Amino acid sequence: MYEFKFPDLGEGLVEGEIVKWHVSEGQHVREGDPLVDVMTEKATVTLPAPATGVVKRILAREGERVKVGQVLCIISEEGRPSGLVQAEATHGPRRGEPLGRASQVQVEAEHVRGSVRAMPAARRLARELGIDLSKVPGSGPGGVITLRDVKRYSEESARERVAPPKQREVEAEAPEERVPVRGLRRAIAEKMSKAKSSIPHAYHLEEIDMTQIMELRDRLRPRAEALGVRLTLTPFIVKAAVAALMDYPYMNATFDEEKGEIVVKRYYNIGLAVDTEDGLVVVVIKDADRKTILEIAREAAHLADKARGGKLELGDVRGSTFTISNIGPIGGIGGIPIVNYPETAIMAVGQARRRPVVVGDGVAIRSMAMVTVSFDHRVVDGAYVARFTNRFKELIEEPDLLVLRL
Amino acid sequence: MPQVGMAKAINMALFEEMERDESVVVLGEDVGKKGGVFLVTEGLYERFGPGRVIDTPLNEGGIIGFAMGMAMGGLRPVAEIQFVDFIWLGADELLNHVAKLRYRSAGRYTAPLVVRAPYGSNVRGGLYHSQSPEAIFAHSQGLFVVIPATPYDAKGLLKSAIRSDDPVVFLEPKLLYRAPREEVPEDDYTVPLGKAKVVKDGDDVTVIAYGSMVHRALEAAQSVRHSVEVIDLRTLVPLDVETVMASVRKTGRPIVLHEAPRTAGFGAEISALIAEKAIDYLQSPIFRVTGPDVPQSPLAHDEYYAPTVKRVVNAIERAMKY
Repeated sequence: MYEFKFPDLGEGLVEGEIVKWHVSEGQHVREGDPLVDVMTEKATVTLPAPATGVVKRILAREGERVKVGQVLCIISEEGRPSGLVQAEATHGPRRGEPLGRASQVQVEAEHVRGSVRAMPAARRLARELGIDLSKVPGSGPGGVITLRDVKRYSEESARERVAPPKQREVEAEAPEERVPVRGLRRAIAEKMSKAKSSIPHAYHLEEIDMTQIMELRDRLRPRAEALGVRLTLTPFIVKAAVAALMDYPYMNATFDEEKGEIVVKRYYNIGLAVDTEDGLVVVVIKDADRKTILEIAREAAHLADKARGGKLELGDVRGSTFTISNIGPIGGIGGIPIVNYPETAIMAVGQARRRPVVVGDGVAIRSMAMVTVSFDHRVVDGAYVARFTNRFKELIEEPDLLVLRL
Repeated sequence: MPQVGMAKAINMALFEEMERDESVVVLGEDVGKKGGVFLVTEGLYERFGPGRVIDTPLNEGGIIGFAMGMAMGGLRPVAEIQFVDFIWLGADELLNHVAKLRYRSAGRYTAPLVVRAPYGSNVRGGLYHSQSPEAIFAHSQGLFVVIPATPYDAKGLLKSAIRSDDPVVFLEPKLLYRAPREEVPEDDYTVPLGKAKVVKDGDDVTVIAYGSMVHRALEAAQSVRHSVEVIDLRTLVPLDVETVMASVRKTGRPIVLHEAPRTAGFGAEISALIAEKAIDYLQSPIFRVTGPDVPQSPLAHDEYYAPTVKRVVNAIERAMKY
């Protein structure tokens, strides 16, 4: 027997949420096969089977929170399942082709007696109700399935069976709907609460003329496209931000409450907010100071695709030192974001809109965007943030200066 | 109605039966003039005389053998063995002859006698005055085995035993001779053999007990938050299987309680019956709370031999984990 425990994935991670099991109880797995998807922080990680054998018991349900070290499932390490299944497997070749045999073995495995530990009364009720005991989570000593467990399972599955049609019928009349806070939503909820409750936020707002940087972007676009990269404003914003961060290092820092220290980072990992179907995800461009506009554009697109496909790995979402939320493509004059805990600051860039603005003594049509910087007032003050923002503004408004910093 | 303990209730039964039926005689060591070591036969000698209340030599084989002969000859003897621990000197008479007579003679002869004997620990009796060998009688075939838990039942059961045409081993929990007391009617009533009693209704756990352990079960039942049903078997042979199974089917969590050692104790038989007849209803394992598998304790450990209330409570809590 191999007890598969939720492994320590590093970086101080202590818990995760079971998103999806790739196997069911009684199924045979090979070492390295995808076993279970676990969501940690904001990345979903597929954990591989640690051993070859039969999945005896799955001890954490989809949607359940698990702690590092908690047993997720039990795998019997014999190369193949015991008893009946083994017999079927040996007789298999005489009966038909490999594919048919494989599925037969799997079906038989589910019916192996004794592979499920249940009290007799639980077995009787399951038999009467036609419930597959291997699907019932056991709560008794050592995980044995009790009568209560079968009743609970039966009630829950009855509710599930009944719920969908009912919902559809009464949808028009139902005044409200209760949606369980799970997965990414829960992660976001917890992180935002923590950020907003532990960081004293202050805000700085500035208007930036995006005309020149947009022209530059437009000029370079066909060139980038020829290299297979779709050029957006994002990499320019990232580079300008990194340059400004270098000049104002306290913006690229964390506040260590325990030690009473400000940790100034000498590396520039820029978090980018990505909107996915499930909710907000922040992907991280590592060492953005050492990457070109093209590289950043390519990486940002790749990470955004991964995020929307739910394929992010832990490394894609951890370790950012400063975060940018470019809400421009969706719309809005600007936003006032919540700092991406435990960072010091986050920048939101609104939509660039063509407006009449005073230039010199005249009025000109320029593409103006609102930039908001939310910051941890324990680490930096408004004046410092204003100077940081001025530097950023300067680099965006006069791309020539930005070029000097690349 | 007088408040009496079990010794007095048994005394009442003997008095009434001897009054009612001239064929009832009492014999044993010191049962006559002395009235028995526990005074269970007190006053019988004075009332019925040496012809019907017979002081015997210290000879258990003789006591049981004489009683068997008397029974075959038409009397209804009630023989007392001073402590059940001594009964083995009459084992051949009891287990081979008394128990088998009706079968051996194809029903031509019966041995309608009662062998009364105090059993059990917790009275600082030491090794040879404390044992609980009821399973041996139950296993021997041909004997009824009766163990009362209350004064009322003791009187009613003894009357039924005396009137039974089959031989009865009537084991008296000596711990209960003086207390608890309860009102025992002076009327002629009987309690049928082979009928268990649900002493306390409950839904979560069934504690099956007999003799002094019934009171431990009740005490444990009162001190837990779960709904505990307590069954007093009253007779091991014949066993009221249906009452036990009905309760186990209801609660799904059986606990068998006795002070005799665990291995091959009567609890093993009850456990096996439950497994055979009600396994589909089991929500927990069958738990046995019994005396340990060691010879009866020396005096210093007397109070730890028989299961304590705490041990019964522990078993209830373990069962409720399922």
